[in-house]
Amino acid sequence: MKLSRARLAPICLVAGALALAGCGAASTTSSPGTSTSGSGASSSATDQILRIPYLADMSVPDPDIFYDIEGNSVILSTYDGLVTYATGSTKIIPDLATSWTISPDRLTYTFHLRAGVHFHDGSVMTSESVKRSFQRRLAVNQAPAYMLRPIASMDTPDPLTFVVHLKSPVNPFIDYMASSWGPKVIGPGALATHAGSDHAQTWLQTHDDGTGPYELTAFDRGRQYVLTRSTDYWGTAPYFKEVLIKITPDIGTQQLELQNGGVDAIMHSFPASELNSLPSNVHAEEFPSFLRLLLYVNTNKPPFDNPAVRASLRSDVNIPQLVAEAYSGTATPSIGAYPEAILPNQPKLPYAPDTKLATAGAKAASTKNITLAYTADESGVQRRVGELIQADLAQAGWKVTVKEVQLPQVYGYVNNLKAAPDLMLQTNTPDASHPDTWARILFDSTGGLNFLGFKDPTVDSLLNKALSAPAAQATSLYQEVGQDVVNSNEIFFLGDVKNVFVLNKDLTGVEQVPAYPWTVTLADLKRAAG
Amino acid sequence: MASLIGRRLIALVAVMFGLVVIVFALQAVIPSDPVRAMVGASASPAVVAQERHKLGYDKPLPERFVDYLDRLAHGNLETSLRTRNPVTQDLGTFAPATLELALSAAALAAALGVGLGLLLVGGGRPARLLRLGLIGGASIPTFLTALLAILVFYSTLHLLPASGRVSDTLVLPNGPTKLLLVDSLLHGEPNLFWSAFVHLIMPAFTLALLPALAIARTLATSCEQIMREDYVRTARSKGLRERRVLLRHALRNAAGPALTMSGLQFGLLLGGIVVVEQIFAWPGLGLYLDQSIAYSDFPAITGTTLLLGAAYVVVNFTVDLAQAWADPRIRTV
Repeated sequence: MKLSRARLAPICLVAGALALAGCGAASTTSSPGTSTSGSGASSSATDQILRIPYLADMSVPDPDIFYDIEGNSVILSTYDGLVTYATGSTKIIPDLATSWTISPDRLTYTFHLRAGVHFHDGSVMTSESVKRSFQRRLAVNQAPAYMLRPIASMDTPDPLTFVVHLKSPVNPFIDYMASSWGPKVIGPGALATHAGSDHAQTWLQTHDDGTGPYELTAFDRGRQYVLTRSTDYWGTAPYFKEVLIKITPDIGTQQLELQNGGVDAIMHSFPASELNSLPSNVHAEEFPSFLRLLLYVNTNKPPFDNPAVRASLRSDVNIPQLVAEAYSGTATPSIGAYPEAILPNQPKLPYAPDTKLATAGAKAASTKNITLAYTADESGVQRRVGELIQADLAQAGWKVTVKEVQLPQVYGYVNNLKAAPDLMLQTNTPDASHPDTWARILFDSTGGLNFLGFKDPTVDSLLNKALSAPAAQATSLYQEVGQDVVNSNEIFFLGDVKNVFVLNKDLTGVEQVPAYPWTVTLADLKRAAG
Repeated sequence: MASLIGRRLIALVAVMFGLVVIVFALQAVIPSDPVRAMVGASASPAVVAQERHKLGYDKPLPERFVDYLDRLAHGNLETSLRTRNPVTQDLGTFAPATLELALSAAALAAALGVGLGLLLVGGGRPARLLRLGLIGGASIPTFLTALLAILVFYSTLHLLPASGRVSDTLVLPNGPTKLLLVDSLLHGEPNLFWSAFVHLIMPAFTLALLPALAIARTLATSCEQIMREDYVRTARSKGLRERRVLLRHALRNAAGPALTMSGLQFGLLLGGIVVVEQIFAWPGLGLYLDQSIAYSDFPAITGTTLLLGAAYVVVNFTVDLAQAWADPRIRTV
């Protein structure tokens, strides 16, 4: 058969494409997620690249604006604060400040700064840099600025001494400094050069000028962020030359990529039920965190405006069973109104399943039709908890409709509490390892996480007293606040959720701070030889 | 033709206006507080109020609607609450990826649809089996096709990458088109072209599958009707081969319904983009929209909706022109 030129052309094209595909396929065998590029990266170079996925873009990599959880690892790898928390604890340790003193009246904090620290633009960090960074945070005036509002003035008596004078004593102030959302030190040169009309906010949406172990060298929104090892880092140089943070919004895709070597770790939202059947090339590491599962009760309408009906909720749910079933061992039942590590010796929570009491509560209710809302999460665990609570409440006689909502909807509930759901599940975490950073956002009548309008003037007053009271008295006041909230039955403390990292077997050096959710110290990670 | 273009332009404006009305109505219906979500839980009421005022969220909805239309007329789609960039800038970042995916998927859907449609017209047992396969294929939801494709071609066969638009170690060129297949060739970067190509295969195929099946079935049905026409019988009686009769005489006349179906399917394809981009981590408008919805980022949601709506109208307009080409009678209507 004679082939015409017209017929031969497509055959040649297909053959060529197949040949190219063959080349591509040959190079994809070991690691399809990474080697289809034909970039020619050697195995040793690839070995020093860490790949981790994010489920969503971070808002902005600007430490004075950023106030989410996804993105913490970028901020904490590129910037340093004055102090930080020790691994696995609530103990405050030096970071850019090697030591600090607090005056007896608790109004003056003197930080002695580390010498020889350079910003990523090469300039030297001094007390003036710290002062300008603090001033910028106040000027930008976004959510994290609240941590610096107690400041009356700042002094820089010498290049390595930074002094803060407070308007009045603020117990959690040093914890604010250690918070992952706490003030970070930004290069004043970059801030001046790129100041524009917005305090360099535009520039810091895609760049950094911190003192951290990594520099943000690419911020490709929707695709990936690149962190490159800083050549002039003051601490121990990280093992990984580059960290590629890939935006991969589907947890199923993340799981398959982890299994096939396309990413090195999944930092959160791994389905708990699948942790017992991990493939042999990955392993899970669990760490305590301050993430807590809460059940909010709407007391602004029937049936839970009735305190007796509300109290019966204590008997409806078998919390240990619920937590075990939904979290497969990655959470424990809460022991008090606060995470235990930030407020020890709390009285035991008075929750215990009791069919008689539960049924009596439902019988006394003016309506048995209630709505239980939960915020969407990729792992599906909150939906599972919602379904389990629905089943428990149904046994007592309630008719529960479970619905998923988005976070901005939840923020809108306070505007019309009568239209808000009767019950709501939400997982929250404090900003720092101090009881005030938990109590103020949850229990204060104007708290940002006080979604269903919990209001108790006594609690507000106790919290205001605790803020500046001497330490021992403050602890007692926070405990009293916690007890009041527990007694009100308006917020139920269900579970303390662990940070679960699922990693390639060869990844070692996982270090974690309980107050920094979903975040490992990237600079400490290593790849085991062989 | 001029009146056709005029009518379509009026339709475009009407659709845009309708979309803005719908998105603004949704803001009123959905009880949410995007400003509070934006500034965070610990922001003081003063900070929340200040941001609300700055963004104009303290105004009544009708007033905001009028303001929005005014800004829209000047090409300003406001600022995203999540990314804090002008929405036009964000759309400029995310739209090229979606355009590349949608064009590839549309081309693939058209090629597959025509190919399968002609095979169906062939008749006989293979055509009956194929028809059965098409019905089965059309019943598979897009997300399942996507997951199956990843399981087979990424996880099992290690042939194709599972996520992203290009390998993570490659640096993207800065234009000129921001379509990677084009830019890589313009910059003479075969590695980048190959990486972009293999990353495109699974998302494009997943997105193209359902429209292709719909086009195939419509084309086959239309062809079968045309093949019963008198002029086709005349062509056959002249001794022309069946293939020539189909391709030269029947296909053009049968193309009208298939083209209409293509236009409708493009809407379906745009709807599928959110799911496909989510699963394949494709950094396009679907991913941007999905993240914006979770944040109640209404400026971003409105901007993306307007852009996708405009694309739908433009594509259907192109289909109308193609139909006018295929059937000259339409030009005079």
